[in-house]
Amino acid sequence: MNRYDVIVVGAGPAGLSAAIEAAKLGLKAIVFDENAKPGGQLFKQIHKFFGSKEHKAKVRGFKIGEELLQEASKNGVEVVLNAIVTGLYMDKEVTVKQDDKIVHYKGDTVIIATGASENMVPFEGWTLPGVIGAGAAQTMMNLHRTRPGEKVLMLGSGNVGLVVSYQLLQAGCEVAALVDAAPRVGGYGVHAAKVARCGVPFYLSHTIIKAEGTDCVTGVTIGEVDSSWKIIPGSEKHFDVDTICLAVGLSPMSQLAKMAGCEMEENPLKGGTVPICDEYGETSVKGIFVAGDVSGIEEASSAMIEGRIAGIAAARSLGYIDEEALKEKSKELEAALGSLRQGMFGPGSKGKEIIQTEEGYEISKSLLTKGYIAEDEIFRYPGVTKKTGLHPVIECSQNIPCNPCQDACRKGCIKIGENITSLPVVDQDSECTGCGLCVASCSGQCIFLVEDGIEEGYSAVTMPYEFLPLPRKGDMGAALDRSGTKVCEAEVLEVRVAKAFDHTNLLTIKVPADMTMKARFYVGQEV
Amino acid sequence: MERSIDLGTFVPEPDDDMLICRCEEITKGEIRQAVHDGMFTIEEIRRWLRAGMGLCQGQTCGKLVKGIVAKELKMSPWKIEPATSRAPMRPVEMRIMGNEQLEG
Amino acid sequence: MNNCADVVIIGSGIIGNAAAYNLAKKGCSVIVLEKDNSIGHGGSSRNGGGVRQSGRDKRELPIAMWGVKNIWPTLSEELEADCEYYQQGNLRLGKTQEHLKILQNLTNNARECGLDVNMISGEEAREICPYLSEEVIGASWCKTDGHANPLTTTLAFYRKARQMGVRYISGEEVVEIRKIKGKARLVVTKNNVYEGDTILLAAGMESRKIAGTVGIDIPMVPHLMEVLVTEAQPDMFYQMLGTAAADFYGHQSKHGSFVFGGSSGLEGYRKDNGTYTNSSITAACTCRGIMKYFPVLSEAKIVRSWGGVIDMCADGVPVISKVEEVPGLTLACAFTGHGFGIGPAVGVLLSELIRGETLSVDLSAFAYDRFKAKI
Repeated sequence: MNRYDVIVVGAGPAGLSAAIEAAKLGLKAIVFDENAKPGGQLFKQIHKFFGSKEHKAKVRGFKIGEELLQEASKNGVEVVLNAIVTGLYMDKEVTVKQDDKIVHYKGDTVIIATGASENMVPFEGWTLPGVIGAGAAQTMMNLHRTRPGEKVLMLGSGNVGLVVSYQLLQAGCEVAALVDAAPRVGGYGVHAAKVARCGVPFYLSHTIIKAEGTDCVTGVTIGEVDSSWKIIPGSEKHFDVDTICLAVGLSPMSQLAKMAGCEMEENPLKGGTVPICDEYGETSVKGIFVAGDVSGIEEASSAMIEGRIAGIAAARSLGYIDEEALKEKSKELEAALGSLRQGMFGPGSKGKEIIQTEEGYEISKSLLTKGYIAEDEIFRYPGVTKKTGLHPVIECSQNIPCNPCQDACRKGCIKIGENITSLPVVDQDSECTGCGLCVASCSGQCIFLVEDGIEEGYSAVTMPYEFLPLPRKGDMGAALDRSGTKVCEAEVLEVRVAKAFDHTNLLTIKVPADMTMKARFYVGQEV
Repeated sequence: MERSIDLGTFVPEPDDDMLICRCEEITKGEIRQAVHDGMFTIEEIRRWLRAGMGLCQGQTCGKLVKGIVAKELKMSPWKIEPATSRAPMRPVEMRIMGNEQLEG
Repeated sequence: MNNCADVVIIGSGIIGNAAAYNLAKKGCSVIVLEKDNSIGHGGSSRNGGGVRQSGRDKRELPIAMWGVKNIWPTLSEELEADCEYYQQGNLRLGKTQEHLKILQNLTNNARECGLDVNMISGEEAREICPYLSEEVIGASWCKTDGHANPLTTTLAFYRKARQMGVRYISGEEVVEIRKIKGKARLVVTKNNVYEGDTILLAAGMESRKIAGTVGIDIPMVPHLMEVLVTEAQPDMFYQMLGTAAADFYGHQSKHGSFVFGGSSGLEGYRKDNGTYTNSSITAACTCRGIMKYFPVLSEAKIVRSWGGVIDMCADGVPVISKVEEVPGLTLACAFTGHGFGIGPAVGVLLSELIRGETLSVDLSAFAYDRFKAKI
């Protein structure tokens, strides 16, 4: 029978990383993926990732996918696409549907990296065409370049709901509302702020009552829920939409592990049914490992590290490296994984209400309920400084594992320090050259450059801008504040496009002096 | 598990006609009624109603069914065992299933 | 809760549930103990659903015929649930002269017992079931045979019995049967002790170990069988199918899916991981078998497959018997993979046996102490 040192199921971030690491240590590795394109969810991720620069932060997801593929091929990993693993049997035998046959393989080790599937939530009309998963919307837009609809309502304020809402806006859809039954925004505040300043209203403590339409979605009614999740009568709100996107969480796709006889558990913190595994991802069945979302829902950045650890552990179990090498190699990775799991969004904080940052700054209540930091809250954060000359304003208010901004500034103006989740601090004494690298480096798009007094009564605000078509110098339009409300007229002073910015273009607008700390987005006149 | 527990009388709910299992067209009310008929586990619900037995094998409705069963039994959905995992993981035509390649 | 009852039944399969229902109907108090978390989790939910008389052992045929005549036609009505019983005949197919010889033999035996079964040609078979391939050259045909849905039938008995006051406890593994003053009376589980005037042991393969705790052994071994299920197909035919070569057996269900059992021939040597693990080669082998007879199904998609364990008896028929040397104990096990079709009838017979009533069908061929050395 076809035999490999390691068979990896799933060519997403975890699976590819596992195969690469195993192949680097000498293992004969093969990766199967049921999709026509490798990379799992990475190829739909057009946004920049969070994390540390050692672990691909500020790189866009699809780029990470391309890098992983190159690395896999360089190291001799066989990646087989359109290959559906149909079963995992005794003796680590894997059956794979390839073309019109079922091919049998055996692995001395098997790494299951099958990822997750989207959760659904039922409401009246949820089976109407037009109700889709947020992941499906992302696939349509970013892989197939098709807009899922014209007017969309998003249910779910976790990172998926926020990121996909932003991408819908980028694709030219209107996002009528972002709705979540929870009382607080679930995802990163910076992702929420990007969506809110485009004018998308947030409805927390709201849920969908019904999708309307006979043959397809033509509208939706939402309502406010009380503390026992019951709709408050009279709170109903209607929106004319043609698409309802559901971003209500993911469930590990752990069926293969279960079929193989791995001991499983129902774990709410991990999002569903997961195999019980040790620190290297090895399950109760010797030689069967799991990595990535299949072992518990997390971010792609953690999935890549988990994959690498599993790959190294597989190498150890087959005698390609010794125990000492395993410990040494996995130590650094586990430390990195540990740091990614820190902060207020780490697995340990799931479901907890956090009222202040690690440093003791109060969390913005407005951010958690409306998606943006209120004007009277913004000055409490260490990245937001008052200074007359040109300087950065970093509206980063939550402890998330991310630090590229501190290296972006060559003048040492931005400091995060040892702890990757700390809020960036702006050093008021450093000289800002206005290069804009920090603005483009922030995956959360929360860094702005402001300069007062560029001419009598006017200031300049530079913002990250990821929409097409790009405005041109001299264009007139309106500045929007953090809530997406038009606050004043604005003139485009400059549009900077550079390779180093990696498609986060820098848009500088001229606004009245009292708008310096308000204007955070720009729309052209015709809008 | 004691099967003679009293779940009270079955009270219809306004959204009982909502589809839960799309593949097999099983409604919320049918699932609730099945629990009142003594079907307390996901396996029993599947066998009694076919919920989760269609093309997607419960990938979509698995968690939803669990939630409904748990609510009727007044227990946490996390205490309810999911269904058995069965090959093939995706539907496979008989022609292809029978066309095996064991070597090379 | 009261742990005492007239009858304590070990096992909630079709046999245990049907017996519980019939006993409750006659006024007995009944407790049913099930080791698994789900009711009917063993062979009763893992079989092809045949309600056959043809192809049965001579000793078993009277029960099968009695059940088809007296129980099955009204079962759905009686249990107020759709057992999906179709009485549209059984075709046992042959492709070679060798096959036809086997079929002729079975047919002769059944006819001797008064069953209306006959040999038909390939053309006649295709008239009954137009989807059969030209490879089929003959078949045995029993028009009073049929099939039902084993999942809903088993659970329908459970539901009805439960509604009639039968107490069920699942996840309750029996450790031993204990005698009190010379009579089997206590059923000890991992967590509790139950007491009954009669103990009915109907726990499939598990019965052997449990019977051993009162010094009784039934020569039976576990035998894995596997079944696969297709997605729903348009209504095609409702005959129960089998083959002389035992390539596969099965039927189209009311839902439209086809349910086919089959084997690779290596079942006797299987190993598992503690669950009813499927082998990596059986489903494929079954598909190849099916397509020779039904090429039309080659595009039908398999949505799942599953395995189950048959409690295979040394002489191929079950034990349905009081145990005279252990008063109070009744056995109903070792059904050897054909218990579903006769299950509802056996449930009635067990209620008669336990209550000392006149038996509707003689059960003497199924005594627990019939097994003797060959010389």
